[in-house]
Amino acid sequence: MNLVELVLTVGKIAIVLGFFLNLAALGVWADRRQGAMVQDRVGPNRAVVHLPNMLARLIVLLPPALFGVLSIFLALGNVTPRLAHERALVNVQLTVLVTWLSLLVLCVTVQRGGAINKLEEMFEDIDPRSIFFGGLGLHALGLVAMRFVTLDGAPAAARITGFVLGGVFLLVGLYATSRVPEGSIPLRLAGTLHALADTIKMIFKEDFVPKNADRLLHSLAPMIAIFPAIVVTAVLPFGNDLCFADNGDKVFGFADLGNLVNAVPASGACAGWRVPLQIADLNVGILYIFAMSSTGIIGAAIAGWASDNKFSLLGGLRACSQMVSYEVAMGLALVGLFLVYDSVRLGDMAVWQGQNAWGVFVQPAGFLLFLTALCAETKRVPFDQPEGESEIVAGYFLEYSGFKWGMFMVGEYLEMCFASALLVALFFGGYSLPFIHPDGLRIAFGDAILYEYKMTHLAVTVISVLGFFGKVVLVTWFQVFFRWTLPRFRYDQLMKLGWTKLLPLAIANMMLTAVVVLAARSAGPAVASWLKILADLSQALIAVLTLAGFVALVVGLLEPVERKKFLASSAARFAAAMGGVKAEPRQA
Amino acid sequence: MIKRTAQTTWTKPAGGPVTGKPIARPNRTAEVQAYFPEFVRGLAVSMRHFFKNTKEMMLGQKPDPVLESLEEGVTTICYPEERRPYPERFRGIHRLTLRDDGSPRCVACLCCSTACPAQCISIEAAEYPPGDSKRGYERYPKTFVIDELRCIFCGFCVEACPCDAIRMDTGIHAVPYDSRDQFIYRKDLLMEFSGRDGSRKSANPRHEPGDPTHPGLSRDHMEH
Ligand code: SF4
Ligand code: SF4
Repeated sequence: MNLVELVLTVGKIAIVLGFFLNLAALGVWADRRQGAMVQDRVGPNRAVVHLPNMLARLIVLLPPALFGVLSIFLALGNVTPRLAHERALVNVQLTVLVTWLSLLVLCVTVQRGGAINKLEEMFEDIDPRSIFFGGLGLHALGLVAMRFVTLDGAPAAARITGFVLGGVFLLVGLYATSRVPEGSIPLRLAGTLHALADTIKMIFKEDFVPKNADRLLHSLAPMIAIFPAIVVTAVLPFGNDLCFADNGDKVFGFADLGNLVNAVPASGACAGWRVPLQIADLNVGILYIFAMSSTGIIGAAIAGWASDNKFSLLGGLRACSQMVSYEVAMGLALVGLFLVYDSVRLGDMAVWQGQNAWGVFVQPAGFLLFLTALCAETKRVPFDQPEGESEIVAGYFLEYSGFKWGMFMVGEYLEMCFASALLVALFFGGYSLPFIHPDGLRIAFGDAILYEYKMTHLAVTVISVLGFFGKVVLVTWFQVFFRWTLPRFRYDQLMKLGWTKLLPLAIANMMLTAVVVLAARSAGPAVASWLKILADLSQALIAVLTLAGFVALVVGLLEPVERKKFLASSAARFAAAMGGVKAEPRQA
Repeated sequence: MIKRTAQTTWTKPAGGPVTGKPIARPNRTAEVQAYFPEFVRGLAVSMRHFFKNTKEMMLGQKPDPVLESLEEGVTTICYPEERRPYPERFRGIHRLTLRDDGSPRCVACLCCSTACPAQCISIEAAEYPPGDSKRGYERYPKTFVIDELRCIFCGFCVEACPCDAIRMDTGIHAVPYDSRDQFIYRKDLLMEFSGRDGSRKSANPRHEPGDPTHPGLSRDHMEH
């Protein structure tokens, strides 16, 4: 490994770790907040930082101003027609997005807080949903309009749209800044600061070690527990491979980094230097993940043993036996997938899923089995048997306090985030998005190409990275929901489920898949082309469902609610019976 | 011959085995047994709640302190700036009541520490110094320590105390500290607390030895 590869690797580690650690912290918050939202109570939200007015204005102004200036600066430069065309497209879509989003925010603010000038009065009677629909229409219109921009006209279009986008950003930033109220601003961020406050608190908490505990092991256990959750991120492919052209010296050096190729062929083959967006491109891939993640068991076991407490020991034992049992089912549930993908490298899996169908469609049974086993591995509800307030006081972390306890908790959430990333990589297409190929957007069913749009290598890579991280966030969000839906299992039920249900089912799935895969491979080209069309249909299904889900979400969230309805809810009636708690002239 | 007790509705009818009413097992259809359909349904329910409540809170159509945008019918309070009143019999942190002269009313009889199921009270008794009118009549606690971390707030110590010397009417929560020693409450601290009404003393008047209301012996303590 030469120097440039080392630097790139360090960069990749920073990206991945930064993402997962932040996601874990956010996961802690989301878990609490969502639980509150599901149960209709107020979640964590009172951690507040008082910002001086000037600072608040600066924070509001800086990002839009930065983006605006950047956009104008980019518009000044000269680029090739292909790139200009793409840039114009991105500019138009971004302009529309920023516009409708800001108008929406303005509309909601005005309707809640009242208008302060002529412009704002216009928004008082508008249904926010119509702004959103208008925005969607403009998005589509922008796509159509770009078909009429020829390659000759592209540089001009890119320049104009760049200026417009910059202008919109600056305008939005300035207006938002002028709306920042006087006085110091309490920054709540919907309670996300709680995670930070908790961390600070944990640092100052007493670090208590029981008298007869094994001091060394007691301190080591949380580190062992958190270690696998961090190292397994090494093999996750989080984006398309980057491809750099060689500058002529046949050695990969820093000078090559500037030569990011403009476009790669549809097959994704790279003629120059290939840099996989994955910290370590291991041949054993998924096996490394299994090997590492199973060491997490040791952390829990040692924690239980070293604290010199029978309850902890029981918790550690339970954690151990649960995780060992489910490790077996987890591995076997994936064998079907390996047969289909024909590889255990995670990068290859993502490529396969991008070219064919996502893993959930090929291996639905395997997906369900793996999801179950993964939930059990992450020790979260409904499989949180290692802990139990009523039976074993707390669990293997009973004798831990302060930051060591925090490490167990963060480790749990890290594991959850990582489990989501694994689900994404194996079953939800990895970094690939429907119809996005290494050379651009291509909607095709079998050999019939309906729509094609060439994109630069950089654009595809950015989209794939965003796609991967976005999917991970979504799946994590979904996993948090399990906790608020399912009751726990009994311990014997848990063991029975693992050994007598999951394991045989996984083996059956494996054998069935092997037969089907063999049959499909030897069936001939006709069946293969039919399978390809089916795979393309599945991609189309994902795209349509995603779009429909997004529209339904925004429209649903913007839908007005009648005040009467919620005032009749029990909590409000309770407060009214108490005479209300807020000193309000209207209540007097 | 076993003596028959009068039969009430609470006693088992004499003779014969207990006959239970057979209860039908819940219907376990394949769909329920498969778990996943029901799981998805449950997920849908919690998602629906989540989206509904999120929307109403985010849009300010429901009381949410994040936005504090709803004026009437607010259901939350801004703890700790605002507090709900505690119920009359709320058990707060302990306190030791005082006599008129500011000494603890406790006579170090160890009733409370004996009664304490969590064994979190530790008292070291001592004689009053020679010359004190209470010397030889009663003792006082040289140290009085309560480990509030072990305390289960059962209130047995208050019940056990014959002198009304220990009370749990401060209205103070167990405060979150960051180390274990800070939960060890000693005599000085316990004597510093006042009841919720602000008084340091007990409401029960005390009959000191020597005063005319004192029901016990009146002997010359100085000569002891
Ligand atoms: S309240 Fe109960 S546990 Fe606490 S000190 Fe009194 S007797 Fe002991
Ligand atoms: S507090 Fe009451 S029960 Fe406890 S030692 Fe003192 S007098 Fe006795």
